[in-house]
Amino acid sequence: MNEMSILMHLLSKKRSAYQIGATEEEILDILNVKNKNKSIYFQNLIVGLSNYLIPLGLQIKFNSLNLHWYLSSDKEITELISANPFEGKPSLAATLLCTLTSCLKNSGSAPIQEIRNLRNKKDIMSDLKELEKEGYLIIDKTTYQIHLTPLIGYKLDLHKLLINLSLKLKESKI
Amino acid sequence: MEEIDFSEKINKKIEDIKEEVLLGKINLLEFELLPIFSDIKDSLNTFNIKNYSKSFINVCELLDRKFEELRNLLNSLDIEKRFIEFMKKNPNEKEMYDIFTGCWNFNFEIEPLSYNFLEYALDRFCKEKDLDFAIEHLDKEKSDYQFLLEIPKLKFTEKVNEFFEEIKNILPCNFEEVFENEIDQINIYEKFVYLLHLLQLGKIKYQRETNSLYI
Repeated sequence: MNEMSILMHLLSKKRSAYQIGATEEEILDILNVKNKNKSIYFQNLIVGLSNYLIPLGLQIKFNSLNLHWYLSSDKEITELISANPFEGKPSLAATLLCTLTSCLKNSGSAPIQEIRNLRNKKDIMSDLKELEKEGYLIIDKTTYQIHLTPLIGYKLDLHKLLINLSLKLKESKI
Repeated sequence: MEEIDFSEKINKKIEDIKEEVLLGKINLLEFELLPIFSDIKDSLNTFNIKNYSKSFINVCELLDRKFEELRNLLNSLDIEKRFIEFMKKNPNEKEMYDIFTGCWNFNFEIEPLSYNFLEYALDRFCKEKDLDFAIEHLDKEKSDYQFLLEIPKLKFTEKVNEFFEEIKNILPCNFEEVFENEIDQINIYEKFVYLLHLLQLGKIKYQRETNSLYI
């Protein structure tokens, strides 16, 4: 067992429905790296493993929502196997987008009523429950608030989503 | 022409910058890369062009990172605004679904690759091999036979000929070119053995001065 096998294990480990991989601190702690340049060591380790993984169609990614490093298939593979978890379920995708918008607006949590307004639909509870079952969000039944879990950071390329939004807005302005 | 070559100095400078960026001491967005490009441009000549091309690649990598940081900064400025603006247009379910197109990741999770399994594999690898082996000397036995390590002649010759047919059209060429499409070390070794045989048979010749192979 060497650093690479331990790192591979840590990055591919699914701890819960919405926690995959490990943080930089956890990785350095497990590898017992304590010197003052540990951040550089960590970067070199990630880059080193990443170079080995490229031919396998894998890449190392960072989930900024929970600061976890994890493994993901590269773009080519993702397009090939259709990674869309809402294939044939447009209602769930629409409700998730409204939840995301509301969470961004309210710095973290979203009131169910606001999601309902954005979604322009009365019955959204079945969608929310389904999304909760899938691990994307948590419904707080006492405050009627929705909290997103870090799963969205793993499953969704937020950067690409922003590009899609910008293009759509630009398109509608023309 | 003056034989000046600052490539090492420039490469060292780039490495230092990369390290300081990683440590958070330098913000690439505030760092001027133009002086490095000027250094390369001002001292470039035919003597040092080979070394300078590496320096140029290195500084371009830094420039790429700078663009990446700029793009991230621009994207982070009005994330919330863009979402709200889109929702204000009252998109229908299909439009909201379509906005996710091409945004999904396929994560790589392996449950069976557990830490316990790795430890078990390590134990097997390190400990179970540690058996109490006794090395005993073998007694020489008398025999009328002469034992030889035999290589299937025909099959090997066929392989050598096949290899010869494969490379004869690219000859004459540089020695390394014969192996340039090979990634697997075993294949390279195998082809190298075939090449040695072809050289020994005189089917292919080698010129040391130019490091080239020819027929």
